[in-house]
Amino acid sequence: MDLLSRFQKAIIDGDADAAAAIAEDITRVAEVRPDAIINSLSGAMETVGGKYETGEYFIPEMLRSAEAVEKALSLLDPYLFERRRDFSGVIVIGTVKGDIHNIGKNIIVSALRASGYEVHDLGVNVPAGKFVDRVKEVNADLLLLSAFTTSTKQALVEVLTALEEAGLRGRVKVVSGGAAHSEELARDVGVDAFASDVKSTLAVCRELLGKRGH
Amino acid sequence: MNPRDRFAAVIAGEQPDFVPVIPVLDGYFAPRLTGRKNDECWLDGACMAAALAEGLRRLGCDGVVAEMGLGENPNVLGCPLEVRGHQVPLVVDTLVNGPEDLTKVKVPDPWAEGKMEPVQQLVEAAGDSVVIGSVRSPFEFAATVRGLIGFMTDFYGNPGLVRDLIDACFPATITLGLALAGSGVDALVIKDSFASSSMISPGHYLEFAFPSEAEAVKELGGKLPVILHVCRNSLPILPDMARTGAAVLEIDSPVDLIKAREAVGSAVVLKGNIDAVGVIEKGSRADVESAVRAALEAAKPGGRFILSTGDSIPSSAPEENVAALVEFGREFGKY
Ligand code: B12
Repeated sequence: MDLLSRFQKAIIDGDADAAAAIAEDITRVAEVRPDAIINSLSGAMETVGGKYETGEYFIPEMLRSAEAVEKALSLLDPYLFERRRDFSGVIVIGTVKGDIHNIGKNIIVSALRASGYEVHDLGVNVPAGKFVDRVKEVNADLLLLSAFTTSTKQALVEVLTALEEAGLRGRVKVVSGGAAHSEELARDVGVDAFASDVKSTLAVCRELLGKRGH
Repeated sequence: MNPRDRFAAVIAGEQPDFVPVIPVLDGYFAPRLTGRKNDECWLDGACMAAALAEGLRRLGCDGVVAEMGLGENPNVLGCPLEVRGHQVPLVVDTLVNGPEDLTKVKVPDPWAEGKMEPVQQLVEAAGDSVVIGSVRSPFEFAATVRGLIGFMTDFYGNPGLVRDLIDACFPATITLGLALAGSGVDALVIKDSFASSSMISPGHYLEFAFPSEAEAVKELGGKLPVILHVCRNSLPILPDMARTGAAVLEIDSPVDLIKAREAVGSAVVLKGNIDAVGVIEKGSRADVESAVRAALEAAKPGGRFILSTGDSIPSSAPEENVAALVEFGREFGKY
């Protein structure tokens, strides 16, 4: 198996030590293109998400893979940073006010980092103003809102209104998702897109960022 | 038969007059239903007891759930809670972040400062209706004080800590369960919300959740009938849940009742499994009717069935749908 295939396997198996060792090899050999690294990490997290959707993996297995990604990235970050001219996009993400579900969001954060995005994770129970401040501060391309449906609908609307009031709604695309979040709800509150799992989230982000025109 | 006789008959394996209707009416729905605020009720046990008693009367169902989430909320073992207005309470921080914090898990004294009084008030006010005392399993306590992500990350990273933490939480389940029993409730529900195959593999269930769950059922089951609740998809672990010796298994909406019965045999009582969100909160009256009919068709024959929601009635559910659940439950639940 080549280096990147072994890297992918280590992430999928959730073997953080192996992933870290391979990450170090990658930086030593210094021949692997950043794009290839990102593609392999991103593909690994997509596979992990797929295994969860089909019932082969459960939450502990996904968390284990997410940990392996974070560990590998912490070692690879300087290497990638030196070689890349541009991040593929700046993303602010968080779980809205009144909601503390964070498992799904954290998996998404790891998958986004693995895909080469600069991700600012604000955590859970995040008030609208905090989202707006960070979007402004880091000049985010995308704002991802995690929210389960019922009592957090209002919180979603509040974030959109606050963005509007700050004059940022035209500048940042907003995507929502989360446990029990429906496409219908997303349409109702007026976000730009909705995603229901790792794969669709990565696809939606790619698509929206592709439309940025740079 | 009054509600309590009806419930007792089902537990004894006899045929009652009607299928008992005991939706999970607890601290999530009762405050809003009765025009109270969550923050008032979650911080003041007497308010919650009044809300639950009034909710029970208003809906005319056979029973209600007495949460230990009264007053200082011993059911989170001291984790910081944020409670605001109509919002449901949020556990906003963890208590245990590593082995060094194990000693922070303190079993509350349920009899201190009149903490059990609201439960006694509820039992009194409920009259002939069934009051089910609710307590978390050691596994669920452990997940709560550690935080679900840290807890489940430890399954692979530090399984010893998972076991030690569950052991540290075990006395809390027993102590709070016994206190509820001593306050006059009719049955106990042990909640093991995170043990299902929607969250962890059946192998991890057997390894981490099952041992202390079975032990808790054994200890508390000596006092009162124990209902074992696992959220979402429990089908793969149902035979093991039955092995704990629980009198009743509470089945959530993703599980087919016919398959559940096949999985557990005829001895145990099943309670379920109307979708609390999709049908009760979001559905129409017609949705409630067809869900109730389907559940009764599947599980009423042969007895040993209690009609219920699969999980807690959500705070914002419309009252009409819960009332319809009771109405159709009576209409189609006659033996
Ligand atoms: C674990 C859990 C909890 C834990 C959360 C702990 C934690 N640290 O996260 C605790 C116990 C705290 C909890 C509390 C409550 N919960 Co809860 N919870 C769940 C449960 C069982 C699993 C959620 C989960 O983590 N799934 C696993 C992850 C991987 O899946 P996911 O979150 O869907 O994430 C995936 C996608 O949605 C997507 N995604 C996730 N986030 C994002 C964000 C973006 C931007 C995008 C694009 C995509 C995306 O990618 C992920 C990977 O595939 C679900 C039931 C279920 N099976 O879904 C209920 C559930 C979400 N909870 C529910 C409810 C009602 C509550 C409570 C109100 C109490 C209650 N009655 O249970 C409180 C509310 C607390 C609050 N205000 O936040 C309901 C929501 C119903 C609704 N439609 O409104 C559910 C569906 C259960 C139910 N049927 O009743 N809960």
